[in-house]
Amino acid sequence: MNRENQGYPNFPARPPPPPSSSSSPFASAPPPGVPPQSGGPETVGFRPHTRPFTPSGPPMAPPLGVMRPVQPPLVSQIPGQGSRPPPSTAYGPPGGGSFQRFPTPPPPPSGPPPTQTLAGHFSPPMSLPPQLPMGPPPQSMSSGVPGGYASPPQPGFQQSGPPINPSYPGVGSPQPSFPGYPSKQVLQGPPSSYPPQAGGFAQHPGQQNLHPSYAPPTSNVQGLAEDFNSLSLTNIPGSLEPGLDQASFPRPLDGDVEPNSFAEIYPMNCHSRYLRLTTSAIPSSQSLASRWHLPLGAVVCPLAEAPEGEEVPLIDFGSSGIIRCRRCRTYVNPYVTFTDSGRKWRCNICSMLNDVPGEYFSHLDATGRRMDMDQRPELTKGSVEIIAPTEYMVRPPMPPIYFFLIDVSFSAAKSGMLEVASQTIKSCLDNLPGYPRTQIGFITYDSTLHFYNMKSSLSQPQMMVVSDLDDIFVPLPDDLLVNLSESRNVVEAFLDSLPLMFQNNVNVESAFGPALKAAYMVMNQLGGKLLIIQNSLPSLGAGRLKLRGDDARVYGTDKEYTLRVAEDNFYKQMAADCTKFQIGINVYAFSDKYTDIASLGTLAKYTGGQVYYYPGFKSSIHGDKLRHELARDLTRETAWESVMRIRCGKGIRFSSYHGNFMLRSTDLLALPAVDCDKAYAMQLTLEETLLTTPTVYFQVALLYTASCGERRIRVHTAVAPVVTDLGEMYRQADTGAIVSVYARLAIEKTLSAKLDDARNAIQQKIVKALREYRNLHSVQHRLGSRLIYPESLKFLPLYGLSICKSTPLQGGPADASLDERCAAGFTMMALPVKKLLKLLYPNLFRVDEWLLKPSEHLDDLKDVLRRLPLAAESLDSRGLYIYDDGFRLVLWFGRMLSPDIAKNLLGADFAAELSRVTLQEQENGMSKKLMRLIKKVRENDPSYHPMCFLVRQGEQPREGFLLLRHLIEDQMGGSTSYVDWILQIHRQVQQNG
Amino acid sequence: MVKMTLIARVTDGLPLAEGLDDGRDLPDSDMYKQQVKALFKNLSRGHNEASRMSVETGPYIFHYIIEGRVCYLTMCDRSYPKKLAFQYLEDLKNEFERVNGPNIETAARPYAFIKFDTFIQKTKKLYQDTRTQRNIAKLNDELYEVHQIMTRNVQEVLGVGEKLDQVSEMSSRLTSESRIYADKAKDLNRQALIRKWAPVAIVFGVVFLLFWVKNKLW
Repeated sequence: MNRENQGYPNFPARPPPPPSSSSSPFASAPPPGVPPQSGGPETVGFRPHTRPFTPSGPPMAPPLGVMRPVQPPLVSQIPGQGSRPPPSTAYGPPGGGSFQRFPTPPPPPSGPPPTQTLAGHFSPPMSLPPQLPMGPPPQSMSSGVPGGYASPPQPGFQQSGPPINPSYPGVGSPQPSFPGYPSKQVLQGPPSSYPPQAGGFAQHPGQQNLHPSYAPPTSNVQGLAEDFNSLSLTNIPGSLEPGLDQASFPRPLDGDVEPNSFAEIYPMNCHSRYLRLTTSAIPSSQSLASRWHLPLGAVVCPLAEAPEGEEVPLIDFGSSGIIRCRRCRTYVNPYVTFTDSGRKWRCNICSMLNDVPGEYFSHLDATGRRMDMDQRPELTKGSVEIIAPTEYMVRPPMPPIYFFLIDVSFSAAKSGMLEVASQTIKSCLDNLPGYPRTQIGFITYDSTLHFYNMKSSLSQPQMMVVSDLDDIFVPLPDDLLVNLSESRNVVEAFLDSLPLMFQNNVNVESAFGPALKAAYMVMNQLGGKLLIIQNSLPSLGAGRLKLRGDDARVYGTDKEYTLRVAEDNFYKQMAADCTKFQIGINVYAFSDKYTDIASLGTLAKYTGGQVYYYPGFKSSIHGDKLRHELARDLTRETAWESVMRIRCGKGIRFSSYHGNFMLRSTDLLALPAVDCDKAYAMQLTLEETLLTTPTVYFQVALLYTASCGERRIRVHTAVAPVVTDLGEMYRQADTGAIVSVYARLAIEKTLSAKLDDARNAIQQKIVKALREYRNLHSVQHRLGSRLIYPESLKFLPLYGLSICKSTPLQGGPADASLDERCAAGFTMMALPVKKLLKLLYPNLFRVDEWLLKPSEHLDDLKDVLRRLPLAAESLDSRGLYIYDDGFRLVLWFGRMLSPDIAKNLLGADFAAELSRVTLQEQENGMSKKLMRLIKKVRENDPSYHPMCFLVRQGEQPREGFLLLRHLIEDQMGGSTSYVDWILQIHRQVQQNG
Repeated sequence: MVKMTLIARVTDGLPLAEGLDDGRDLPDSDMYKQQVKALFKNLSRGHNEASRMSVETGPYIFHYIIEGRVCYLTMCDRSYPKKLAFQYLEDLKNEFERVNGPNIETAARPYAFIKFDTFIQKTKKLYQDTRTQRNIAKLNDELYEVHQIMTRNVQEVLGVGEKLDQVSEMSSRLTSESRIYADKAKDLNRQALIRKWAPVAIVFGVVFLLFWVKNKLW
């Protein structure tokens, strides 16, 4: 497989681009210092053109992929701009690159012939046409010719060859015309598909001709690198033959690789953890955008956790007020420019000239920089937080409010959920954000609703039972929602007694709808976070749900999707009302039976919340997971009553948003409670046919109330260049962001179509993108049976496969229960890029060898453990493996694993069936080491608590369920393996290609 | 009973704290909040210097006290005893000064002392019912004299600023118009001068021309 950096050693050999860029790209070709006679050697080189062209065909498409130099995007882009007449098809880079490159061939062995011969040598090409249409050669021809001849600094050359004259002006002028010249077809014929890297091939004829004895393929491999990667699929597509090298398939074993070239070019952009564009090169025209078949958009995680030392700076503009553009309301950012000796500033998004308020004024230095630049983080950093003045408040900042709606019917007490939940809440009381303003309240319900008066003067909470479910009323005006610091004792007394109160409850009904309404009535004064702890299917009152799930007959029909959307409009309506009053809902569901997560999750989806699902909750198994996740939900820093808007430059517009939120107006996302674990995807469209600006700016602004009672605006600014070249867009693509958008689109699609359709849609999108890319390159390459893709998108097919095999989309009704599917869908809609990628292609690593090694340190997991491909072949029956997708940890014990290890890790009952064994720390070094490792894995990603499962090889069906089904690259049941998937994609790319 | 409570800095009208569930059962609480904001704005311009004042608005009445450059304002029913309202504000003031005293001047962001709302709510509850023993005792306590406190109407209070604005606007209009008048007068003066002397000048001109032509011809 070719790597682009192989081409780099060539770069120093390039002469610098000529200082004066004339109207033609060709004119800039020759190095300034070339002596006039040097035209000679090139003519010598040129003569053989007539012959080697045909033989040069094969080396163009060698089986293992031609290497060609990669043009560094920005260096070559500059000469390209302006010199190419049609911007839409302007493959600028190649032009500049190719001719700069040309002079690299070593000096010719033969002496320069008299220039007079030039004419003689030149005439033969005139008779070339019959040989030319052979395919690939024209490129080398075209680039070779102007490179060699179109050299204005060689006056002698120009005069000496009268026959060339008719062709020469064409080369020199902006619009090349070669009357009767064969290569004219190449230059003018297919300009739109003109390969950007034609330049690389310019060397071909040169080298071949100068060293006729040189073996062409090797010279290609060494001297050139390709712009794209390729997979050689030489066997007949469709049949799996041993010749196919699976090991060479790209796998994201290093995790998420972010494209960072732009982070270096634009150091003032916000960090990619906050904003990631699907491609860091914005297309300049609608036609170009339509040829880019991948999503064009961004993934935003406005409150992503920053590592120590990189916190977002907090700014107070004080009396000058927040500096914003008068027209487009853009916040001041590092990309604005100050003019008029500092009295005015130009908005970078709408280029409006604004006045600088007197308090904000600062003089400019000689270079136009503000003198106080260093003291103003908002002018140097891409991410800042601004303290909002009164105009940004419709009411005083709200306190953090946590309201619990707890189902206490029969199963809640039986499963032990009630006990774990109340213990957890109690243990978190000290860490709830926003002390001393934090407020808290509870409602419990089974077939009746129970309210609790927690007035601080009481010693025990008073319980009030409301059994009228049709006409809900709140029995007390105050004291249902109380200040935690004042009523601390009452709250603790309540949490202590809660599990006991209901431990003998035999009521199996659940009046969820009325309870939700009651909670809404209590909360709608101030808003806050509503945590719904639900144990069974809502069975009474409004919002009553039916057992409609898992009827296999519905699957595969057109009605299938209705199972995945809310059954009752009540839920969407309630969610809309809650959002309006700043109530964010998180749903915790525990039932082992069908609970209709599709309906319950709707509440979380439209209020910017999350769904936590613990099927068949048992406190002994899931207790830790619930403890951790509920605690994190309660204690993480949360932004309250927030709204988010993303602005972008003129000519483009964000057209659709994907994630868990409610859209308040066309571009304003209402997020009652948002935190670092939530990300939102959005797609943009071009509104104008042609973008004229060289760059496009994006600005995410999140207005929120911090838990401490400050109203703040978090602003992230980023810039991306506008390009006219499709190849550049592919080079700058960001697989992680694209996959995030795709996953959300696919999940949304399952809400209106069959699973099959959603999967096919993903595949089709990938095929279309790769086909377009292939068309871009097929002109000059004989690609044959190779699947080509840009380096930046090498993991896209695999992630596409993973999306199709992820829980919300996989297989048929038997593969995952409806509730699991929906819960996973709601979760994936909110996941930030890195966590999503980890879930899609989980970590698998072998630990037994590491455990046996005496080394103690455990600093970086990556040093210690090597990720393995997710295929059954990676599993050795003598090993111990850990599979980690961020939500589950599976320890797989090989059948032939040394019993010592098993004994050390599991203690006495190591031979028992592993489903009954829980992993506990044993009194030996190995076990401690493993527990430390697991702890480390969990700490690395604190947003969810991966539960630990143990499984032994061959323990069916547990093994299949826990691990084998998640080995994405294997064929399981009706799903495709990675190889088949690649072959399928490849076949479809070639069709109608 | 107390409907809403706001604390703001007098110098620039910056809100410092506010009772949380204010306006819970007030249909047009937003309108009253706007009035309060306008009132604070007036205060920051130094229009109303009285340190204790009651302002009537619709069915409610604002009571406020200004102490140490901080304005404590509450809105009550008209029937609510004035004495109690001012006692309530006094309580708030004492606690607020005790807790946040040194930081008031340096507060830069709005609602910098929003944590005070818990105390506001607690105190408010004490004053909710006028018939509790505690409140009756306070009512009967003659130590605290509220009779002198002026009562005015909100339109009047807010109107003062408006009227001043009007006056200044009128005077500035007067200035600019008088300037225009002066310019025009000058212009007219010049025109009159021209009209007066133009015929004479023309006659002389013709005569001289004739002389010159005659000289030339000869």
